[in-house]
Amino acid sequence: MGMFFKILVANRGEIAVRVLQTLQAMGIATVAVYSDPDANAPHAVLADEAYPLGGSTAEETYLDRGKIIELALKCGAEAVHPGYGFLAENPAFSRECAAAGLVFIGPSPEIIELLGDKIRSKDAAVGAGVPVVPSSPMWLPGDSPPDALVADIGLPLLVKAAAGGGGRGMRIVEQAGDLAQALESASREASSAFGDGRVFLERYIPAARHVEFQVLADSSGNTLHLLERECSVQRRYQKVIEETPSPALNDELRQSIAASAVAMAQSAGYTNAGTVEFLVDAQTGEYYFLEMNARIQVEHPITEETLKLDMVEWQTRIAAGELITFSQDDIQSAGHALECRIYAEDPFSNFAPSVGRLLAWRPPSGMGIRLDSGVTEGQEITAYYDSMLAKLVAWGQDRQSAIGRMLRALESFPVLGVTTNIPFLLRALAHPEFVGGDYDTGFIANHPDLTATPNSSQFQAAAAQIAEGFWQANGSNTARRETEAVKDTQGPFPGPWEGLAKSVFP
Amino acid sequence: MTTRRLQQVQPPPTDSAEEIFDGAFDVVVPSPGRWEGKVSLADGRTVSFLAQRDGRQVHVWIAGESYVFSPPTPVARSQRAGQAASDDIVCPVPGVVIAVHVAADDVVEAGQDLVIIESMKTEQIVKSPRQGTVQRVSVQEGDRVGRGMRLVVLVPLSEE
Repeated sequence: MGMFFKILVANRGEIAVRVLQTLQAMGIATVAVYSDPDANAPHAVLADEAYPLGGSTAEETYLDRGKIIELALKCGAEAVHPGYGFLAENPAFSRECAAAGLVFIGPSPEIIELLGDKIRSKDAAVGAGVPVVPSSPMWLPGDSPPDALVADIGLPLLVKAAAGGGGRGMRIVEQAGDLAQALESASREASSAFGDGRVFLERYIPAARHVEFQVLADSSGNTLHLLERECSVQRRYQKVIEETPSPALNDELRQSIAASAVAMAQSAGYTNAGTVEFLVDAQTGEYYFLEMNARIQVEHPITEETLKLDMVEWQTRIAAGELITFSQDDIQSAGHALECRIYAEDPFSNFAPSVGRLLAWRPPSGMGIRLDSGVTEGQEITAYYDSMLAKLVAWGQDRQSAIGRMLRALESFPVLGVTTNIPFLLRALAHPEFVGGDYDTGFIANHPDLTATPNSSQFQAAAAQIAEGFWQANGSNTARRETEAVKDTQGPFPGPWEGLAKSVFP
Repeated sequence: MTTRRLQQVQPPPTDSAEEIFDGAFDVVVPSPGRWEGKVSLADGRTVSFLAQRDGRQVHVWIAGESYVFSPPTPVARSQRAGQAASDDIVCPVPGVVIAVHVAADDVVEAGQDLVIIESMKTEQIVKSPRQGTVQRVSVQEGDRVGRGMRLVVLVPLSEE
């Protein structure tokens, strides 16, 4: 089989753009699909062809397997790249692609099914000799709460969704009395996000680090690891800052976990790119298999930057039947890379999602700076989809240089109209614990100063004065005229408080 | 600048003593509805800023921080004035109501779940900030809601 002629990208946002860019560089014709609110989104504009899915919610657009396959066939695509999220780990979609004669760029449906079931995947890890965290069988709404199991697992414990990732359908339970409600709520969220409401209990390991290994396997069974990513800076069990190499691993521990990751992938018969996630106790050097993700990972760019290797290109080549052309010894990391996820959220009110129109969006540039973005100035950010706007990646010859470049880039990244977590990222990167590399998954929760509403500062005082001057020059009269005009037409210029809802849900 | 016509909307202002800005700013690129420029701080540093208008709001970005200001409106004024005694439990995020856990006349405790909103694929649980009686529930399952919209009216427990 030769290289594909045309590929449909079944996703949106930054990952759709990221995949389209590589496919275009490979000389492959590209097809995008888009929902109604995404009609002018960057991924729809970038692709050679773009087709509407009709509708706004994820369910009626990017999760509609039938519509996507029908469009792929109609436009003559040979393969589908699912990105991450949406249908990336949906075995039914992968099966339906195959039945329709389309290549699904990812592992086989059987492997997606195995790894998507967190219990079966743990059994597979045990079979491969990889240590795991103790957990319960599956629970579904209607089942009685598994109170008896709480004693075995211990408190605090985690309620986790059987499917998916990204922290959805996950709850921490400190007291046995909170279990029933946590199960219901996690199950509902998982059902909405992944169409699978099964959840289970898992022992919670505090002060652990979240370290994952990238693996790459071809159809001949050749399985390599592409080193690790440290992902311990998390809020709501969702990653915010990632880096590689991990400051928590010495060479011995790195080799040992890497061997487990490869053993896991091999025993599952994995093909294509995947990620094996571990919890690591940096004090004891003990580590536990968490899950294996059968897709491209959000934070893959830091691996690309330190290895100078295009993950999407390799996903595509492997799906086309090509074999990996390098060996494990060729995998030598150079320098240090950091990724900051730019979320549309208010870091000072419990990371609540924020929406609105991106009045200004001026990405930074410069040596060692890369932005994977799915948005553009003027775009409306809606509550329909994930709140991640972009990923800012900084590479440096060492960790300090990467942090310095990231700080400079974040400080020179004007975003207006939508509240972002950039002020939080600046604080986190400058925090002594982060600078020292000595942080764990409790980093954000343990440091309330990272998310405290900022006190009056000279920047704030300057901003207030600029706003006053600006309002006098540009504001009051013009604004009043427009407000009057809008009253008649019910146009899009909302008041500061009520307007948000209207502009999101027209 | 002595008289303030605008008030800070975002981030919510804190009670901390207000800093005085005794530097200067230059508008380098003045275009209609948008200013770009430099701020010279009292300590000798220079940082960039970008100011832009959106309806009756002024958005200012300065050195990695973003602020939103607006003139006081009748809505904002009444909300401010009524804040302490307000009976309205408002929606913290835009999204869809996926569960309503209370009904009119229910007595609720502080911390009890009132309404669950799904926003950007994440559940946000709106809990009762205090003990009280639910006078009215303004939303039902499936409703689309915006930040600041009223969800529940909660009145103090009756004296009986």
